[in-house]
Amino acid sequence: MTALVEETVVARTREATLLELRQLSVEYAVGDRPVRAVDGVDLEIRAGEIVGLAGESGCGKTTVANAVLQILRPPARVVGGSVLFRGEDLVGKSTEELRRFRWRNVSMVFQSAMNALNPVMRVGDQFADMMRAHERISKRRALAAAADLLELVGIDRRRLRAYPHELSGGMRQRVIIAMALALEPELVILDEPTTALDVVVQREILQQVQDLQRKLRFAVLFITHDLSLLLEVAHRIAIMYAGELVETAPAERLAANAQHPYTQGLLQSFPPLGGPLTRLTGIPGSPPDLRDPPSGCRFHPRCPHCRPDDIVLYLRQTGERPLLREIEAGHQVACHLVAGGEE
Amino acid sequence: MSAAAPLEVRDLTKRFPVGNALRRAHVHAVDDVSFELRPGTITALVGESGSGKSTVARLLARLYDPSEGAVLFEGSDVSRVRRRRDVLRYRSKVQIIFQDPFGSLNPVKTIRHHVERPLRIHRIVPRAQVEEHAHELLRTVGLVPAEEVAAKYPHELSGGQRQRVAIARALAVEPKVVLADEPTSMLDVSIRIGILNLMLKLKEEREIAFLYVTHDLASARYVADDILVMYAGQIVERGPVEQVLAEPLHPYTRLLLAAVPDPAKKAERIEPRKGLAAAAVDPPDGCRFLTRCPLAIDVCSRITPPLVEAQPAQSARCHVTAPST
Amino acid sequence: MSQLDPTIDLSLAAPPRRARGRLGLRVPGWLVLLLRNRKSRTGLAMVGFMVLVAVIAPLISVAHPTDFNLLAARQAPSWHHLFGTTDQGSDIFSQVVLGARRSLLLGAAAGALATGVAAILGITAAYSGGLVDEAVSFLTNVFLTIPPIPLLVVASGYLKNRGMGTMIVVLAVVLWAFEARILRGQALSLKSRDFIQAAKASGESTPRIVVAELMPNMISRIAAGFVLVFYIALLTDAGLEFLGLGDMTKTSWGVTLYWAQTNSTVLQGEWWPFFFPGAALAFTVLGLVLLLAGIDEVSNPRLRTERRQRRRLLLALVGGRLAARAEAAA
Repeated sequence: MTALVEETVVARTREATLLELRQLSVEYAVGDRPVRAVDGVDLEIRAGEIVGLAGESGCGKTTVANAVLQILRPPARVVGGSVLFRGEDLVGKSTEELRRFRWRNVSMVFQSAMNALNPVMRVGDQFADMMRAHERISKRRALAAAADLLELVGIDRRRLRAYPHELSGGMRQRVIIAMALALEPELVILDEPTTALDVVVQREILQQVQDLQRKLRFAVLFITHDLSLLLEVAHRIAIMYAGELVETAPAERLAANAQHPYTQGLLQSFPPLGGPLTRLTGIPGSPPDLRDPPSGCRFHPRCPHCRPDDIVLYLRQTGERPLLREIEAGHQVACHLVAGGEE
Repeated sequence: MSAAAPLEVRDLTKRFPVGNALRRAHVHAVDDVSFELRPGTITALVGESGSGKSTVARLLARLYDPSEGAVLFEGSDVSRVRRRRDVLRYRSKVQIIFQDPFGSLNPVKTIRHHVERPLRIHRIVPRAQVEEHAHELLRTVGLVPAEEVAAKYPHELSGGQRQRVAIARALAVEPKVVLADEPTSMLDVSIRIGILNLMLKLKEEREIAFLYVTHDLASARYVADDILVMYAGQIVERGPVEQVLAEPLHPYTRLLLAAVPDPAKKAERIEPRKGLAAAAVDPPDGCRFLTRCPLAIDVCSRITPPLVEAQPAQSARCHVTAPST
Repeated sequence: MSQLDPTIDLSLAAPPRRARGRLGLRVPGWLVLLLRNRKSRTGLAMVGFMVLVAVIAPLISVAHPTDFNLLAARQAPSWHHLFGTTDQGSDIFSQVVLGARRSLLLGAAAGALATGVAAILGITAAYSGGLVDEAVSFLTNVFLTIPPIPLLVVASGYLKNRGMGTMIVVLAVVLWAFEARILRGQALSLKSRDFIQAAKASGESTPRIVVAELMPNMISRIAAGFVLVFYIALLTDAGLEFLGLGDMTKTSWGVTLYWAQTNSTVLQGEWWPFFFPGAALAFTVLGLVLLLAGIDEVSNPRLRTERRQRRRLLLALVGGRLAARAEAAA
């Protein structure tokens, strides 16, 4: 169903695990009570795989991305778990080791990065600057490499001499993507890469990313709040809510058989373009304030299945945090209503 | 059926000057736009950034003055009225909701202030009843308990809640027309439906004429009855929403449809071509979609296509799919 | 480093509006902010001290400032005359302490008047645009090009009435234009914000928008402007009096300095008629300047240099890159 899936699930599981997050927890020390922006997240990304991370504002997905690259700055810090890249834990590595790792093994396209380009420097010079910060090469070679990269993302080489404001939003975003690919990383993290762009440009960027991914075979962690994008582009999708991972599944399984009420609610939030038109319900309420999150299952205040009439279940939902359990191959859910495959 | 259209727009044009005194040029942000808004209907105005759709909304809200054309409200042209009394009367019937929930509320004023001000300015209810009426408005938009919410400041509310406050503020004057300028694009996905459903409810219960400005075709389909598609300042297609989305005439509409993420169908590849949806500076004659159009023929570069009704109730601005005979 | 490096910025909802101090008092948010910042805290304390002195001045001054006693003339500071006496025997301590009243009152009034006029004209011009803006801008430019000191000298020279009221008006007239331009600029950027457009679309009148919607969002800049005009007025007034252009019958720091100058006291080795009024003036102005710096820092978080950054900067300048690197690794 998903246009992009070319390999079978079985074949993919044989690929090496590139990145593994094990019970990752990140806290922000703000005010008297620290805020758990990320709480016990387990996630795996294999070589060449596109993994989508979806969630609404404040769910912690950008924090996860920053934790992978170890670019969290105080008051944020990792308080638990590990970030394993090819088996090595990045938490606790020295600045020098991390510097060599960043951009070379894992790179990132930040949110609104296209607005982060220096307006008074030519694009080519910024490219060269960035490359020379990571490798000892001459400016001439850096510019030549930059020209090649621009061509790779479908921009005329001569645009190296342009200033950022002379390029359209979509082109600037492609420049940023090209910069992220400069050192041929194995994993690219895209944090809301198309949010500020128009729908047609968004489609062009997505196509570009897919083409590049097929050609260069890097893995992608695609972070967005737009689940419909992921359903089209990703191999596997992980859903985050209030700092926790609530469901992970291959894209087609998620679309067909989402188990977590939040995922179901999210899928219910996209009006269809074709087919019958029915009243949608969305999800009532709003994402919780992480300084004072709901007890037990963090989704329970908004969950249609949390009602006091079933008192035993209600007590569990409000008191006990549900654990991520695998209900079928590759499909995990953290919900009291779904218990390890059995009813 | 319903009475005459409360708001009618005729040949609306807005040009913004660019450049300096030596080389004065103009951006044709809105060019020759005509449509009407009928009570109890939602009309979607769809386009990408720079297409002019927000400018249209602001022109109708009289936050800008048009360069040419007329805005007819209940028969008379309001676009050039100057007398405060007349302007105030217009503002009591036509309201606007902005895109940014974080920017459309004054950060140093309470919610009560925002909702009560229109009530006081337009003397909607006697002074003694203003507070209770304001609470009632908050309840109408789903913000309860109203007394608690009224005492809060904008930064204490979430984006969705702020947008509901903006809607309550717009409803305070009991408007006939509400211009919603991308009211959900800055909100979380799960909250958007709530706002859209609120619009549908208000349209049905209060017979308000909505103009729903958006770049999201799917939400336009969900709420709107009619759709207007804008490109580079012009309307390029119009008609009932189901009809236009099922059988789009204009190549740009088709491009938009192909670009929207839809997990239900297999993704079509679109070819990137040069050209922007944004309004151009002093555009020459000819179709503005020319550089991106797969159907372009010779006449497209010379003559600006007029809006032609090629199907019943559906018009498009294209020499190929909606030729003027 | 590449400017693509992110700065992790966590913006949670703002902390609760009113912090409850240890005494359980409801301290307004702005005061808390000012007290937290070191510069403004110091400035506030200094100015506060001066205000206190001015308030209790009649209680602590031992003699009437203009009483003269030739027998006690030109005496150095002693327990009897804390700041010494003038050449005519007047007590300098009383002069300084009572002079504080005039200086502070004058500075505050001139500040308030100038800032008030600047705010109303500048913000209205920015919001209304068109002819109103052009007229006000023209007016502002005219006043900006007039050199203040010569204008003040000429005005004071010609004016018969040199009382405090006149001084206040003259100072306000000279100083309002600068603030007006700044406030106009800020209002211009606020004008296009949606909540102002929303107020307009609701039917709010221009005066109400200027006063009730725009001004409350510009408080920090207006407050900063007030403090600025305050200390400039203070200095200018003292300067004018020092030149002999003020009201010589009143007690003020500038007048004391004037007499100190004309009687050539320093040449005779008498430092106290100069030192004490001068120190009082400098102390007050320093307090105001610190307060201003603190307000600026609180309003614009980017100006706040963290301690570590500052230390590193200092080390880099003094100890070279090696020292800075060592500090960074720590």
